[in-house]
Amino acid sequence: MYAIECHRLGRQFDTLVAVADLDLAIPAGAIFGFLGPNGAGKTTTVRMLCALIAPSSGSARVAGYDVQSQAAHVRATVGILTETPGLYDSLTALENLIFFGRLYGLTADRAAERAAHYLRLFELWERRNDPVGGFSKGMRQKLAIARALLHDPTIVFLDEPTAGLDPAAARAVRHVIKTLRADGRTIFLTTHNLAEADELCDLIGVFRTRLISLDTPTNLRARLFGQSARIVLAGPAAPLVPLVQQLPFVSEVVAEERALLVRLTDPERNNPTLVRALVATGADICYLEPFTPSLEAVYLELLHDESAVAA
Amino acid sequence: MNWERIIVLIGKEWLELRRSRGLLLSMLLPPLLLPIFSLGLIFAMGLVSDPDTADIPAAAIDPALADLGLEALAQVIFGRQFATLFLLLPMVIPNVLASYSIVGEKNRRTLEPLLAAPISVGELLLGKVLAAIIPGIALTWLCALLFAVGMVVVVVDPVVPALVLHQGWIVMLLLASPLLALISVSLTVMISSRVNDPRSAQQIAGVLVVPVMLLFFGQILGLFVLNSLVALTFSAGLLLLAAILLWLATRLFQRETILTRWR
Repeated sequence: MYAIECHRLGRQFDTLVAVADLDLAIPAGAIFGFLGPNGAGKTTTVRMLCALIAPSSGSARVAGYDVQSQAAHVRATVGILTETPGLYDSLTALENLIFFGRLYGLTADRAAERAAHYLRLFELWERRNDPVGGFSKGMRQKLAIARALLHDPTIVFLDEPTAGLDPAAARAVRHVIKTLRADGRTIFLTTHNLAEADELCDLIGVFRTRLISLDTPTNLRARLFGQSARIVLAGPAAPLVPLVQQLPFVSEVVAEERALLVRLTDPERNNPTLVRALVATGADICYLEPFTPSLEAVYLELLHDESAVAA
Repeated sequence: MNWERIIVLIGKEWLELRRSRGLLLSMLLPPLLLPIFSLGLIFAMGLVSDPDTADIPAAAIDPALADLGLEALAQVIFGRQFATLFLLLPMVIPNVLASYSIVGEKNRRTLEPLLAAPISVGELLLGKVLAAIIPGIALTWLCALLFAVGMVVVVVDPVVPALVLHQGWIVMLLLASPLLALISVSLTVMISSRVNDPRSAQQIAGVLVVPVMLLFFGQILGLFVLNSLVALTFSAGLLLLAAILLWLATRLFQRETILTRWR
């Protein structure tokens, strides 16, 4: 069962193509990381999926509802944290939440109950009767996330949920996101914080107008960087590159000052041979470790490849 | 239409208004000064006897004023002019409220979360319109009531109140006021899509005073007497204008247009 499905979804503004041929299937209960540079069309995609703007082409279903013909159902089912918190400064934290809760069809009592729950969860309860205008950026962000969750949406769209938060608050938000997944909710996470995406996401989509890649973080790494080993040496690494390149199971070697990054076909079988070959030439090996490239490296590589193809 | 959502939205609008003391004062003070100022001048008119009053065109064309003394005549003529000015209130107050409400939401970037909620744009627009119109009309009628009650106190002749607060004026208050308020808010919605400052929206919507000024000067120049027929004809014209502007405002107040075209 997919929570979000897109088929050749596209959006054009006059002559500008913002989103093209987006095919996406996000399983229910997953955290999907939607990554891409500024101006890639991420906000337009989120707006289409939240039934705020209509696609120019293709179709999408969110929580089983068609975003065009069942837009009201889509809006009632999803929760959204927009790019800016968009709170009413003269209203208190509690009034802001109750207002939106009532708009989402909650009774006054239920809205107050849910608001109290989230205000406590985000440690804003003591400030519940203060006007939001006096809140810090982090407090406003937490309140906006609470607003997105107030009506118990099954799918939550979060645009940069930890932007501007201090490390403790960001950690609390990440914890909430994990809790939401544990409750079976689907999270559509737009973020530039790749470490956060790496920690949270089950599925990553790298996007620039078109979907460049869609896979789990582990598979993305394996696809781009294969399985690699990092050999830390006592001396300079560069002179050893020609020797390592000659080994049949090595597909790529990159030398750092005192380390070699070696891409292998089967590390468990190849590592002993590799170590023996290096020791035979007199290399002093300090240690060998599996190399896991960061998601940032994967992301930049994907965008670089896509730019090269486009050029 | 989900009236519960509309009422919730109106409640939020009024709560924001109550919290904004500057806006509240600027909305309440000038309208409340109008009856006081008008009654003071009408009272002063009753103290002086100016023979030129009978030559004012407005006095000449209305036979009902023929037998009045000069002081009472002056009170009726100026009273009618001031009474016309009350028609500015249902335009000015909703214009101020709607411009702060809509342009304010746009500036604070609160429109997107609002539009993401399961509220239809029709409900949203209606909520915004009613939240601006209701205080405007209520305040207009309250000020008009103060004016009417005060008239009884300040006049020199007991027939003056009936001649000032005539049927035409009552029709204008009951029929034209809501229409003028609707026209004002519709125009404000349209302007709000193009400007980023509530004051700009208010200034551009200032063009709305023109029809009321036509009434004001038309009366004093003796072009017409604002009787029931003139008031109904004027209201019919306003109804047509309100329908056109509301249709145009509805066209601009669409979820997608607001998110992608409003600047």
